Amino acid sequence: MTTSDAAGTDRPGSPRTRRGQGPGGRRTTGAPGWRPPAGPALLDRLRVTGRARPVPDPELVADLRSHLGLDVGTGHPVPGGPVVVTAARLTQALVCAAHAEPDGPREPEPTPALACGALIDVLFRQLVVTGSLDDPFADGLDALSVDDRRRPLLAWIDALAPGERDGLRAEVLRQAEGLRQRWPALDPSWLPRTKECLRVPATAGGFELVARVDLAVGRPAVDEASVALVDVTSGTPRAAHAADRRFHALVETLRSGVPPFAVATYYTRTGECDVDAVTADVVVHAARRCRAGLDVLVGAGPGRWSADGSSSWCGACADGPLQAPPTVHAAPPIAMAGVRTAAGATAPPPVGALPMCGERAA
Amino acid sequence: MSPLATLVESPTTVEDPVPAGVHGGMTGVRDRLVDGVAAAVGDLATGALVEVSLPLLRRAGSRPETLGQPEDPFSWKPAFARRSLGLAAVGACAGGRFRAPAEAVGPLADHAVDEWRRTGWRTFHWEPWFAGLGAGARAMVLAEATTWASHLWASADWGALGARARIGGADDLWTCPGPRTVRLKGRCEARVAPPAGGSGPVLVSVSCGNPSDRWEEELGYLALVAALRSPDQPVPVRVAGLWPDAGMRRTVDVDDALLSASAERVVGAVALVARARVTAGSDPV
Repeated sequence: MTTSDAAGTDRPGSPRTRRGQGPGGRRTTGAPGWRPPAGPALLDRLRVTGRARPVPDPELVADLRSHLGLDVGTGHPVPGGPVVVTAARLTQALVCAAHAEPDGPREPEPTPALACGALIDVLFRQLVVTGSLDDPFADGLDALSVDDRRRPLLAWIDALAPGERDGLRAEVLRQAEGLRQRWPALDPSWLPRTKECLRVPATAGGFELVARVDLAVGRPAVDEASVALVDVTSGTPRAAHAADRRFHALVETLRSGVPPFAVATYYTRTGECDVDAVTADVVVHAARRCRAGLDVLVGAGPGRWSADGSSSWCGACADGPLQAPPTVHAAPPIAMAGVRTAAGATAPPPVGALPMCGERAA
Repeated sequence: MSPLATLVESPTTVEDPVPAGVHGGMTGVRDRLVDGVAAAVGDLATGALVEVSLPLLRRAGSRPETLGQPEDPFSWKPAFARRSLGLAAVGACAGGRFRAPAEAVGPLADHAVDEWRRTGWRTFHWEPWFAGLGAGARAMVLAEATTWASHLWASADWGALGARARIGGADDLWTCPGPRTVRLKGRCEARVAPPAGGSGPVLVSVSCGNPSDRWEEELGYLALVAALRSPDQPVPVRVAGLWPDAGMRRTVDVDDALLSASAERVVGAVALVARARVTAGSDPV
């Protein structure tokens, strides 16, 4: 679950919300008369990607592991145990110098947007599992009360002035009602799993890739991809959301040996749904970004990316109004088994990118 | 056939009996365990209790510095209820009552609470806590159990194993004889009986996180406790481990060498616990 500023002014279809779409990405947009998909239509958006579902590709997985150094680790012990590399930490690590916090990343202070996100998070879980929301605001607070990590946030909500609390409640009810009206019932035989944890440890230690997805659907893959992953966010679309879901696709690919067939971000504020059909290109792109983040987090990386770099991985740059659309997709294709290379792609590698371990010539 | 199905299928059949001597050293393993444990806890006060479990073995291996720290007082959380409810859900699905855990957890929890209210009997222990929760918190319990159970359910064709598979069940407990009580607790998620004429059962264990470097000894611990607890029963022939977070499935065949290694691991962990207690002054001589 990610949360961004609920007071944002983005509207579906604005230039900003069009950013962050990757290969195969589809978004419900704000054309005149546009209505968010609901029920079976939303389910179809998740299930029918328009592409053939990926099949197990051991060579691709081996190349991804090699690129990320998963079979080597850091090569030295890390005090306090392996570095846990999550989507959020990657995003923080890849923030350019211009957007970096001067004193490094900090724990976010509670805000109405953060509280709304936490409440919608548990309400989504409740809806998936029970199919109903009785009194969403009360249910949400109730659900947070059994999570020790949420005590500070609960205390903060309790201390809100009546007007602020009413405002939070109204937004939670609005988004919960949207969820109730639009989110499709999932057949139990699809094994819907909320807050699914995905882990890929480096064999020799040092770090592990960890993702926790809001919803995973589908039985383990046998002959072709059968799992879809969904992130739910109460905030506005951001480039980081696309990067997050592709990171999740990467971790699932490494974990199970088969990519998910789709990764999606569902925006409860608007009912938008971004869906990426997962291809080898998607996971390879995610691996390149992940490698760049690993260099910062656990290795002797190049340090902060320059804000001047046109191919910066910085999500804040990609969201900025003056920033050109991310050029990451113009990066040279990676020679990997099963990955088609785009002819004529001659753009230089991203700033600071390191050569891939075991990279083979195209 | 699902991946785990190949793991739990007994490696020994009527045509392929357990080789003589494979488990013949169990008596020796037990004796060495008793001696080693007695020496390890010699500095603890008479009557001291040390309870060994798989999580403790893992903690002793990865974070021994935490062994002397006081435990947080217990209070129920959704994560603590997920295993018992999840196992009930998988068992009910295997029995054909439900199609999948997502369908089973709600009715099973409601039924348990109803039974507790009617009879005072607690199937899962958490019924009074669960009954006092609001709808949102209850949903979190069901969600945790559903996710946990779905992995176990998808790991094998439990329905096809029929009566051979026992989902859940009581923990294996064995108390090491001596003036200080050292109790070994083995908790596995399923036991699959051998086919007719086969030898010992196959145990199935589900763990969160990643397998440690010494995962074989850890799985072997479950077989060790099962063998100690029921000396008249065949020793488990195999232990299958699932680590759903990491998407890993591993098995280890049980032989005397594995049982010995697991027993040594127990002795080492007990020694660490005893040393930590003595150092912390929580259990002076």
